[in-house]
Amino acid sequence: MVSDGLLGAAVRKQNGDRFLTGRIEYTGDLRMAGMAHMAVVRSTHAHARIVAIDTERARALPGVIALLTGEEALGLAEPIPHNLDPAGLGGQHAEIRCLAVDRVVYAGEPVAAVVAETAGEALAAARAVTVAYEPLPAVLNAQDALAPDAALLYPGWATNEMIAGETADGDFEQAALDADHVIDGELRIQRTSAAPMEPRTYLAAWDERAQRLSWFGTTQNPHPMRWVLAVALRLSESQVHVVAPPLGGAFGLKMHGHPEELLVAILSRMTGRPVRWAESRAECLLAAGREQRHRYRAAFDADGRIRGIEDELVADHGAAAAGPGWGMAFVASLAVGTGYDVQCCRVTYRVVVTNRAPWSGVRGFGKESANLLMETIVERVAETTGLDPVEVRRRNLVTADRFPYRTATGLDLDSGDYHSLLDKVLSKVGYTDARERQAVQRAAGRHVGIGIAFELTPEGADIPGALVGGYDTTTVKIAPTGHVTVLTGVTSPGNGNETAIAQLVAGRLGVPLELLDVVQGDSSLCPYGYGNLSSRSMITGGGSALLAADELGQKLRTVAARMLEATGPDAVVLRDGFAILVADEGHAIPIGAVAHAAHTLAFILALGIDPAMEATCTYRPPNIRHLPDEHGRISPFASFSNAVHAAIVEVDPETGVTVLRRHVVGHDCGTVVNPAFVDGQVYGSVCAGIGLALTEELLHDADGVLRTDGFKSYLLPRATDLPQIELLHQCTPSPFTALGMKGAGESGLGGAQAAIFNAINDALRHRGARIDALPASPARVFAALAQADQAVAA
Amino acid sequence: MIAGALDYRLPETVREATEQLAVEPRDTCVIGGGTWVVPWLASGERTAGRVVDLRRVAELRAIRATDDGVLFGATVTYSDLVRGDTSAGPLRLLALMARGVTGGVQIRNQGTLGGSFVAARPSSDAPTALVALDARAVVRGPGGERRLAAVELLAGAMRSALAPAELLTGFELPLQQDGGIGYVKLKRGASSWPLVTAATRLELDSSGRLEAVRLVVGGATATPLVIDVSTVLGSQGDVAVLAEVERRTSAAVVEPYADVLADGSYRAAVAPVVARRAVAMALADARRDRSGERR
Ligand SMILES: Cc1cc2nc3c(=O)[nH]c(=O)nc-3n(C[C@H](O)[C@H](O)[C@H](O)COP(=O)(O)OP(=O)(O)OC[C@H]3O[C@@H](n4cnc5c(N)ncnc54)[C@H](O)[C@@H]3O)c2cc1C
Repeated sequence: MVSDGLLGAAVRKQNGDRFLTGRIEYTGDLRMAGMAHMAVVRSTHAHARIVAIDTERARALPGVIALLTGEEALGLAEPIPHNLDPAGLGGQHAEIRCLAVDRVVYAGEPVAAVVAETAGEALAAARAVTVAYEPLPAVLNAQDALAPDAALLYPGWATNEMIAGETADGDFEQAALDADHVIDGELRIQRTSAAPMEPRTYLAAWDERAQRLSWFGTTQNPHPMRWVLAVALRLSESQVHVVAPPLGGAFGLKMHGHPEELLVAILSRMTGRPVRWAESRAECLLAAGREQRHRYRAAFDADGRIRGIEDELVADHGAAAAGPGWGMAFVASLAVGTGYDVQCCRVTYRVVVTNRAPWSGVRGFGKESANLLMETIVERVAETTGLDPVEVRRRNLVTADRFPYRTATGLDLDSGDYHSLLDKVLSKVGYTDARERQAVQRAAGRHVGIGIAFELTPEGADIPGALVGGYDTTTVKIAPTGHVTVLTGVTSPGNGNETAIAQLVAGRLGVPLELLDVVQGDSSLCPYGYGNLSSRSMITGGGSALLAADELGQKLRTVAARMLEATGPDAVVLRDGFAILVADEGHAIPIGAVAHAAHTLAFILALGIDPAMEATCTYRPPNIRHLPDEHGRISPFASFSNAVHAAIVEVDPETGVTVLRRHVVGHDCGTVVNPAFVDGQVYGSVCAGIGLALTEELLHDADGVLRTDGFKSYLLPRATDLPQIELLHQCTPSPFTALGMKGAGESGLGGAQAAIFNAINDALRHRGARIDALPASPARVFAALAQADQAVAA
Repeated sequence: MIAGALDYRLPETVREATEQLAVEPRDTCVIGGGTWVVPWLASGERTAGRVVDLRRVAELRAIRATDDGVLFGATVTYSDLVRGDTSAGPLRLLALMARGVTGGVQIRNQGTLGGSFVAARPSSDAPTALVALDARAVVRGPGGERRLAAVELLAGAMRSALAPAELLTGFELPLQQDGGIGYVKLKRGASSWPLVTAATRLELDSSGRLEAVRLVVGGATATPLVIDVSTVLGSQGDVAVLAEVERRTSAAVVEPYADVLADGSYRAAVAPVVARRAVAMALADARRDRSGERR
């Protein structure tokens, strides 16, 4: 018998006190004897030929140990292996080096690296390196990059298109002919950044005698990271030890493919010293994502039923990179349609390279854009038909009786009750009253808007051909003292998944949490795993931990049954630290004693079973489908969390400033292991969506140099910008995954962004104004109102 | 992280400070609170071989009543204003401004009004408020002391008119009748620099007519703009006054300032609204004052 004693309990985060009181050790806190520091010389040009690099003055500065240029690095390392090579899906391959050679393709690209005794000396030396550039024509946006005469970023490429594809191919023209209405439009999504609290930091130590590299750093994927380092440095994977210390947020930025990951290792090998690099905030904000333009059409009837959707997505990637960033455009196109029953979709995507810093992975990973697009379309359907936007959603969302539901792009939606979630949110926000109040407020000249959004978040991805796995592995072992260690292939970006995994194991083994440690992020200790991405950690890490705990539990119960002279393992239950006889609960042995006996009396008590007091199991979600269906479509996700958002905003018509008055979110991620962590993820994700809707944007000057290089210009929402986020849950377990869990971590962002965007347009509608681009900056909203007034006057 | 080594000086008197500054003025950076200077040194936006930190110079941190007003030291911080007795006189407007300064208690404890003024950022709060109070700047250099209207110390966006070897020691704030004050800023969110600010103080006569008013708009142009609203003096009806304030402001913003947070046309368009709201706030404040209500 097994129990799930701690399932659903808001257990506090293990080590939470150490995080809160600043005693946790981030990579930046690590010290090694002889540690030196790296600083990076970066291109000041968007596109230029490197004529000469003068390092003389820098080399002479105090504390300087070594200096490396791209030319010199050529012989020391291979190109950076791609996280997700577009060539694998029919795109163009770019060779990415850790330092630019001959040519730079974006402002901020690493050109040289310096190692010095202190970080300040390294920085001073980096600034003393002079690079002579011969500027080349730069393309700074996707439109220019696609022009027939555009300058090409990569000589071997025929165009600036990295990859293009089609994720669904319905007969939209027929749908348009049949439908009562057809609308078209454009949606422009701005360039934004992941902006974790802790920027990227790496520390590499090459051991010349052992011929081994130890690498500590901010990575979401320690095992794939080991592969990157081994391949690039021509080492065997057993020569590389990767450790991921606790992370201060990752949000996709810390997936592998960054040049500095490799640079510290090369420089450590070169100097024989441990070398650390800590990114500055300005460097961190170079990392881009999300910028894309959608041209869409929608065909629908007077009753609001959507017959078909067509979308052309053009993503402005920036320069090519070894990271997985471009995949976000592909995922965005896969997710179009979200949770709506629209079987006719035609979706194409194009990823374009431009002379700006490249995309890195960023939370939402494209799904947020698909949600924004769908919710924009639904809102416009309501506007055209005169129906309430809620009613249009009701008429088009997939109904609860139709799961599993295959979407037009081929995704197999697992389960859900979207309609009841919608009802719950409407009742929480008091939708009817809010609409009545809005009418009164409008009559008084106030611009109040109500926006709704449905959000579908495909999670737990497995990308064919890449080290992005949808399954994972856990070892659970019990020591003779009764101490339990859980070694898992998933890592934590700081969200508490280690505690949730501990909860599951503790529940199954009946041991108190205090006797249980979870070890993550160590490539030598932990089973091979894919780390943290795509909100996969509980499905895969939790799922495999359950299997391993049960296997070990079975052994413990077998041994305990023999000690208790019971019939067999089923006669024993593990609970509250004891192995207890089911038939007579007065008979029990401490689990520690069982573990000790199993280790010391294996030839008596463990006869007939595997005596190792550990188990290693892998969990692979059964519903990921890589074998294409009859239309050639795959479904690479394990779960489909969903949410409904309602936002109430007020726009100041004199200044265009938007204030978010209320935000209600109803969230369904199936079975919740720890509600405190899920709530934390949703709150954080909603806040990110608020930033995307209102303020966040990476902006460059006319030469392509980033200007929003700090948090006074790259504007994240602050506490005083936020209303109390009102969160409610619905639980529709997945019929496929362990315990019915679905991912939680990314959902929140796309829906919040869409609901606020819709609310703003709702506030502007009576003035005949609308915005089709984000963020909804005061200037943009103000201009939309001014333009509408002019149109009225004309 | 600051690149390289620095010769760090911590003088205790104005005299020591000016002497230390005079050695290599072009390679020296004065620090009030350092909330600008330290990030600049870190990013490389500014380099210096020496820094002269004014935090130990007690005389620069003082606020003193004089016969004709208040003498206000250059290193007075926002927290000094928020915590101090600012119930009357010119300090009231500064305290109102100081309460809205962002960056948390760290910045309010550390940042100085003098530092904000010399940094001459169009989007900063202190310059507009000080100009609205008709402050005079007190400057000490190798050649002695000079005084000038504070607004003249602002040569342009990010440019002060201080000579490299000069120190701003403080401001003289003229005595004022109690009246109404208003300070309004328009931002893109809590973390954003203000896009446009407006500071005003005004006086009403016994019958409630506008007797004196000074209105300054910041952020809309490179340096704070004193708006001539003399045409509203003697008016009584708020609607007319406010409409005139908008018109005057709109006409005055000729060359709007632009930065990464907002372009010039937007700033020009909203400056009149911000100015009007500041004056409306000050009118309400003045009436509250006259009716004896607590502020
Ligand atoms: C997170 C954050 C939030 C902020 N929020 C605001 C805000 O809401 N409003 C706002 O206005 N500002 C804000 N600032 C900007 C800045 O902190 C303040 O304007 C502050 O008052 C600057 O003063 P300081 O003494 O720190 O300047 P410093 O960095 O010490 O100096 C600034 C400049 O003035 C010079 N200087 C300083 N004192 C003197 C002197 N006595 N004589 C001659 N030269 C001198 C320095 O050499 C330097 O050029 C913020 C800054 C940060 C980092």
